[in-house]
Amino acid sequence: MASVEITGLRKLYGNVMALSDITLSIPSGAFYTLLGPSGCGKTTLLRTIAGFHAQNSGQIAIDGASIEDLPAHKRDVAMVFQDYAVFPHLSVRDNVAFGLKQRKVNRTEIDTRVTEVLEVVQLGHLADRMPHELSGGQQQRVGLARAIVVRPKVLLMDEPLSNLDAKLRVDLRAELRRIQRDLGITTVYVTHDQEEALAMSDIVCVMHGGIIQQAAPPLDIYLRPANRFVATFVGANNFLAVSRTAAKATLVSGGAEITPLIRDDGPVVGAMRPEDVRVLAAGTTAPEGDIIVSARIREISFIGREMEIFAQTDAGEHIKAVSRPDPAIVALPENSPVTLAIRPDDLSFFVDSGDGVRVP
Amino acid sequence: MSALTRLRHMDFWTAITVLILTVLALLLILPILRVLMLGFVDADTGGFTFGNFVEVFTRNYYLNGFKNSLYVALLGTLGACLIGIPLAFFTARFVVAGQTWISTLAILVLVAPPFIGAYAWIMMLGANGFITNFFAHFGINTPTIYGAHGIVLVFTLKFFPFIYLMTQTSLNGMNKSFEDAAENLGCTPWQRFTKITLPLVFPAVSTGAIICFVLAIADFGTPAILGRGFRTLSTIAFSAYRSELGGLPTMAVTVSIVMMAMSMLALLAQRRILAKRRYASALTNPPRKQRMQGWRNVAMHLFCHGIVLIAMLPTLVVVYTSFLKTNGPVFIGGFGLESYERILRTAPDAITNSFIFALSAVVLITIFSGLISYVIVRRDTAASGAIDFLMMVPYLVPGVVIAIGYVTTFRGGPLDVVGTAGLLILLYFIRRLPYGVRSTTSSLRQIKPSMEEAAVNLGAPPAHAFLIITVPLILPGLIVGALMGFITAINELSSTLILYDGGTITMPVQIYLAVLDGEFGLAGALSTVLLICTGACVYAVFRFAENRDSAFL
Repeated sequence: MASVEITGLRKLYGNVMALSDITLSIPSGAFYTLLGPSGCGKTTLLRTIAGFHAQNSGQIAIDGASIEDLPAHKRDVAMVFQDYAVFPHLSVRDNVAFGLKQRKVNRTEIDTRVTEVLEVVQLGHLADRMPHELSGGQQQRVGLARAIVVRPKVLLMDEPLSNLDAKLRVDLRAELRRIQRDLGITTVYVTHDQEEALAMSDIVCVMHGGIIQQAAPPLDIYLRPANRFVATFVGANNFLAVSRTAAKATLVSGGAEITPLIRDDGPVVGAMRPEDVRVLAAGTTAPEGDIIVSARIREISFIGREMEIFAQTDAGEHIKAVSRPDPAIVALPENSPVTLAIRPDDLSFFVDSGDGVRVP
Repeated sequence: MSALTRLRHMDFWTAITVLILTVLALLLILPILRVLMLGFVDADTGGFTFGNFVEVFTRNYYLNGFKNSLYVALLGTLGACLIGIPLAFFTARFVVAGQTWISTLAILVLVAPPFIGAYAWIMMLGANGFITNFFAHFGINTPTIYGAHGIVLVFTLKFFPFIYLMTQTSLNGMNKSFEDAAENLGCTPWQRFTKITLPLVFPAVSTGAIICFVLAIADFGTPAILGRGFRTLSTIAFSAYRSELGGLPTMAVTVSIVMMAMSMLALLAQRRILAKRRYASALTNPPRKQRMQGWRNVAMHLFCHGIVLIAMLPTLVVVYTSFLKTNGPVFIGGFGLESYERILRTAPDAITNSFIFALSAVVLITIFSGLISYVIVRRDTAASGAIDFLMMVPYLVPGVVIAIGYVTTFRGGPLDVVGTAGLLILLYFIRRLPYGVRSTTSSLRQIKPSMEEAAVNLGAPPAHAFLIITVPLILPGLIVGALMGFITAINELSSTLILYDGGTITMPVQIYLAVLDGEFGLAGALSTVLLICTGACVYAVFRFAENRDSAFL
């Protein structure tokens, strides 16, 4: 168990800034997830912690001690790889024992620890198999066992589940989280899958363009995204134009006055989650206090447990709404007039320029 | 980072990169530069001059050599294409019985000692050859094998396997959907062939053709044995070197530079043409073979099997003559093992030397192949790019050139302590290193980098991770590379001829000398020994290589 402090980390590939002044702090025992689209720098950051890349500037410290001068094989941070990286010429047992042998642990202790950890990942019965006899999920368990058996200060995981099929991914996700909690091991987890990030993490760190956009607990990330990028990348969002005069702010679509909701000057946009938009057939009365926007149906997809409605407001803005299937709505033909109802509390606002920072 | 901390941070692979660059600089770049410089030295005064090049491009003796080299190399390459391309199309697109047999024979032709073909043809079609004598019986004069057309014939039959194997690989890797799409859009089979298939295999064909051309330019044994007054640049360079012995071999070197320039120009031209034609595609829909019917089928089989059999003929003749009863250099009728007795009596040195030199070179080749391929594949630095580029150089530089470079650079220098044997080993090592590196590199490219990263991450120092994780995983590539290195090292002739002395004669040199002396029995027996070693290695490559055909290219 160890804490990780990263200060002012910068990494350049030629002229491309892969990591730009990354500063973050991971408390001991936390499950810390780096989330972002491909090319955002999350894997580069993980590999820099592992020592596979040298940073151009900045420090990484584990438990307060800088690891900048340590080569990769002395860093004591164990990694789980996206492609498993299970050594194909070694048996499961030898794979798991590999790190212990490098650490010159004595034979009897190696045997007990390997047996123990194989039980933890439920592979005890496969100890003498060769990797090619294992499924993808089993191989990744070997990868995990191999990493945790050395009791590293920090566990690094580089999209460990992304090569597995959907069902297995969800099962292994829960198991990973359970093992991590039981061992209390500080974990840095890289993924581009927001659901995975939200489900597993203590802290989610959203990255984009080599810059940290927001680092916060999952609920905060979802409910209070720090800027427009986070608002769109984690979950979906509808953006609504806001027209402002000196004294008054109104939604361009529907014209509702929202002056009291905005605590900032300057141009802003409104945003709301698709699941916060209620679609009402024309003529139905909306709940008291809701913002009402009239629109027309563009398309409706019924996808089982929910329906997705794509509507266009009279002002021409596109809005997506998601809700439990309602046969009366699903049956509506294209161009049917509907009413969209939004609770004022569900509206958030972002500055309508630059980084699109959230307006509190 | 300051220079000092940089030095302290120098990891294992940086150190290895420095080592590799040092070895290549000393054993490859230095001798070649030395040769290049000698071309501008006046042999008498030792001063700087362009006179050597003026001489080469004005005197008829050299100009003819230049024309002759170009002539036989171009025609030999053309001949190889004319045979190799149809053979590849037939075997890749139609059901041909004995396909494995055909490609095995083609590979044997490829790896057989290069000069065997030349002198075996003399035994068949020379002044006293058995085919010549057979036809003379009926009063028919067969054309002589000596001179340009003989050399072209040998080159054609010797080099067509490059074209055949490369084109075949390319055809087999072509997505069938391309041809299907062409057909679907209304192409006739012939249009489909000329508009789609042929352009798509052009890169492979041209690469094979360039290899043929470069090898033909550099080939010494064939024109030396078959030339009889028809001189090419390689034989001119060699005899210039012989006559300049003691002095500075400036003319030999100048001629060699012209040879190198021809090879380089050909390669650059091909690269330029290919630069705009890169066709990568996933093999989602592999081609299927069709069955040919009737007389066409018979003709196709005759062609395919006929070609490889004719190409194999010299080898068979050599083995056959080795078992003929001889008295000294004369065949006295019947079969006997005298030739083998004689090689044991007169040439045991040549056999042991050949094995010692080739095996020692292979040890070096294997070690450096592993290290170099790691640096090339895994390290993305300017140095690794330079090493990758340098690995092409031994292909392009004729054996005569490097050998002269070794003599002029190392004889009398500090490296002379290794002796002639040591120099030969180092020469074989550097000349055949690219075979090892190629094979190991392609093996390593299939190993995910995360393997070594995982080992390092779990606490293994880089050198240790390489040894216990990477090496076992690239072992097949290393073995194939070692075998290819061995085959090509033990058959080396041209540079050995320049470097060897009394105690360091090798089998190819002994065969060459025996052929010049008309000792065909002795030459046959030694060649058979070489062929057996080569054949055994080929068999081993088949066992270890993932793709048996392309391992030899």
